[in-house]
Amino acid sequence: MLEDVMSFETRDVNPLALAPGMKWTLLRKVIPFWLNRSLPMRAFSLRKKLKYAGEQLNALHFVINEAAGVAHFLPDYTSLVQLGTRGLRTRIEERLARGELPHDGKEYLEASLLVLDSVERFADRYRAEAERLGRDDLVRVLERVPRDPPQTLREALQLIWLFQLVIQIESVDQGISLGRMEQYLYPLYREQISRGEINDDEVRELFAAFCIKLSEVIPLFSRRATEYYAGLPSGQALTIGGVDAEGNDAANRLSFLLLDVMEGFKTRQPNWHARIADVSSPEFVRRVSQVISSGGGSPALYNDDVIMPAMVLRGNASEKVWNYATVGCVEPALSRESFTSSDAAIFNLAVAMEWLFGNGQPLAKDSRRERPWLREIHSLDELLDRLETQTSERIGQLKTSLDAIERAGAEYYPTPFSSLTIGGCIENAIDSTRGGAWFNATGIQAVGVADLANSLAVIDELVFKKGLYNLEEIANACATDFKNQELMLARARKITAFGNDDPRVDELANRVALLFDRCVSQHSNTRGGRWMPGYYSMTCHQGFGQRMAAMPSGRLAGRPLADGLAPVDGSDMLGPTASLNSVARLDHTRFGNGINLNIKFDAATVSGSEGCATLEALFRGYFAQGGMQVQINVLDPAVLEQAMRDPDSHRNLLVRISGYCAYFVDLTPAMQQELIDRTRQRAR
Amino acid sequence: MSFTAPIFDIQRFSLHDGPGIRSLVFLKGCPLHCSWCQNPESQNRAAVIAFYRDRCAEHFECEAACEEGAIQRDGFRIDQQKCTLCGSCVEACPSGALRLIGEQHTPDQLMEKLRADFPYFARSGGGVTFTGGEPTLYPSFIERVLDLCSTESIHTNIETAGLFSLERWKSILPKFDLIYFDLKLLDPEQHAHHLGPGFETVHANAIALSEIKLPIEFRMPVIPGITDTEDNIDAVARLLQQMGKPSIHLLAYHNMGEAKIDIIEGSQPRLGLARLSDERLAEVQNSFRERGIEVLGNDG
Repeated sequence: MLEDVMSFETRDVNPLALAPGMKWTLLRKVIPFWLNRSLPMRAFSLRKKLKYAGEQLNALHFVINEAAGVAHFLPDYTSLVQLGTRGLRTRIEERLARGELPHDGKEYLEASLLVLDSVERFADRYRAEAERLGRDDLVRVLERVPRDPPQTLREALQLIWLFQLVIQIESVDQGISLGRMEQYLYPLYREQISRGEINDDEVRELFAAFCIKLSEVIPLFSRRATEYYAGLPSGQALTIGGVDAEGNDAANRLSFLLLDVMEGFKTRQPNWHARIADVSSPEFVRRVSQVISSGGGSPALYNDDVIMPAMVLRGNASEKVWNYATVGCVEPALSRESFTSSDAAIFNLAVAMEWLFGNGQPLAKDSRRERPWLREIHSLDELLDRLETQTSERIGQLKTSLDAIERAGAEYYPTPFSSLTIGGCIENAIDSTRGGAWFNATGIQAVGVADLANSLAVIDELVFKKGLYNLEEIANACATDFKNQELMLARARKITAFGNDDPRVDELANRVALLFDRCVSQHSNTRGGRWMPGYYSMTCHQGFGQRMAAMPSGRLAGRPLADGLAPVDGSDMLGPTASLNSVARLDHTRFGNGINLNIKFDAATVSGSEGCATLEALFRGYFAQGGMQVQINVLDPAVLEQAMRDPDSHRNLLVRISGYCAYFVDLTPAMQQELIDRTRQRAR
Repeated sequence: MSFTAPIFDIQRFSLHDGPGIRSLVFLKGCPLHCSWCQNPESQNRAAVIAFYRDRCAEHFECEAACEEGAIQRDGFRIDQQKCTLCGSCVEACPSGALRLIGEQHTPDQLMEKLRADFPYFARSGGGVTFTGGEPTLYPSFIERVLDLCSTESIHTNIETAGLFSLERWKSILPKFDLIYFDLKLLDPEQHAHHLGPGFETVHANAIALSEIKLPIEFRMPVIPGITDTEDNIDAVARLLQQMGKPSIHLLAYHNMGEAKIDIIEGSQPRLGLARLSDERLAEVQNSFRERGIEVLGNDG
């Protein structure tokens, strides 16, 4: 905040207007008050504070998101719409009456009652304002909610929005996710339809209005934070589809109405996610494909048949995992009762290579020619062992910081309001920050799996198999950004990369992913839950990449790392089926905190009924082979223009020419321009 | 018993050469030499080392790797007389500027490469399309691959210019799920001039195939000023009506094949034509429709 307070309005990325006088209030009161009271300041001693600040202000190894607060959970809106705040109050009072409270339990429960009062008063003020504006419809809704269980969809959405808003004020506006809305709101929908009180158009309109409210949440990020999280994400995920308790298709009429909203009303929030299972109905899957092909990248797709076993591996009860939903970007969690801190930190896995080459020094500042510690490495297995030791050490550092932040959070920033909606907190009479939830975990994300795998493939081929170079020469080339090493660079880039359906390099990627899993999964958090690995990057692949030297894979200094679990941009040369096969080769049952795979198509390839059928076959084929998640982007002409300017980052961009598909970068500039013009016509 | 065939490319995720998601198998060798050939590297059966000059970074690793001394620095030439197609230079070139075009495959080797996309074929109603070149040059090889595909329930399709021995192919053709048959030029002289030999055979084969009720669809490449003349459109439409097959796929000409002529040191003269415009394609479509011929989609 301090960094950007003078430039909020003028910065070029995500500018924000401030109310008059606000800047002074911030500078004179708000910032000074919180400067010493913020979580990291509370968490560390002075010496450690300085180290931490240095680390996080220019993050190369990891970014700790929990420093802002945990958030990232699925509020139990199923119970909320059945109880209202009165019902919640009764629950708390019964628990108080039962006694046998843990240390601080009484205070915690009393705090819960207090925050319930607050939200009710907040709603009363809101109602008074509605009266003043003559909004009788809203006044009527607020006469029932939040206190009493909603009788209509509109009342339910109003109640949920109130909680959604207050939770994000109390905790942090990241990943407060809505869960399986079409499941827990279906009874209300069915009743209203059968009573003839509402029609489908009105339902669509209600949800569209709800989407506008969700999009009003704007996280206040500094310019620096935006490097790691571009696009003001607040990560309010909304999950549809999947299976029910008996393992049958759970999609209902409301799922289809939500798909209509997704298609016809594209808003920044929520994050739309669709669960796809082998038993999902053909109608549901087809409609999902249609919505994706309409552009906007929604919904992202989740494979029940891989995610549920992966969750069981992490200790979720097998009779409960049918009811999982997604949190934030991609993280699967048990609805109603889990507190998984799924976005605790994002970890740079790829930098391990640089750290090893530099013997604990960043390579960019390292002009040594002699690197005796590399002479002891004679095989790929030994190299992987070193990388694991190194990663494990840095994960250990991360754990020290994260534990301190968690303890400070539990001590200074309990979240009694959020805890109202997390199963276990009231029953245990313990706040969620202290481990009150039935199920606890911490999710740590790896960035750079593909870059590291490709680097290993290059070293294996050029050093261990062919003996063309030794490791020291490779390290020196990386330190100097391959200066005067054109031949080595060309050889490195010729070696088949992850994403080309080549079992050898795909297996290396799997070893890298599992190495990270081992390093992460040995740890527990302070709330009594286990750590688990995820593989997504938000936009940290750019933030980290900017601060890194070159890598043996041929990735040059400062270039972004691969996005999420995807192949390096432009390195998958055999088309999407090969690329998906490579990703599906990884052992996703180990990836308990989820993955992100982005793939791109030009609009012509996936439009129309044939295009939808193609899309559907692609993701179903990928899921059948063990793929976990995919997000499909349909490109607009602007992306094609970028590809014209920067062909190297778009080598895998497939476009449709009359009668066949081709790689865009393989076309002549004139042909490229023509395609752009054509796409422009079609995109209106 | 193992037959092999030279394959110069396997293109995965193809959407326009038959239904669903397909892999195209390009076989090398062709009895015709169409003046507008889009794959000039496919005409000769023999394998060749192709040189992509624009990718060459002049490291000359190829020269060091070649044991025959077939690589000449001066003028960047491969002496085809000396070259034994061993592929050492391709392996050595760090920039990917050299490629061996036309590697021999056994049916099993080919199936192994195709297998990776079976999950996508199955879910899209797609499969394998044999193209080239002229795939009918390799009947024994193709028949074996067809049998292997059929045990895996993979949809199969062939793209042929129709110049083949009906005697030899009569028993194999029914194994295809779909046959794309190109009608290019229906005037014997024009055919001889632009395509080369075999006019009578192509004509007779088209008629014979429609009579034995195979799943055949006809296609016409629309080459500006060559195949899109009123006379040729007339002749094609008449033949289609006569065969009781009043529908056609139109393939719009593009000139991207010409870039490949140099790469293989091919001798094909350049047509110097521009890509067929969308407007002209629409006109040709209308000409066919006016003659009662349905224009089929899936060709862009």
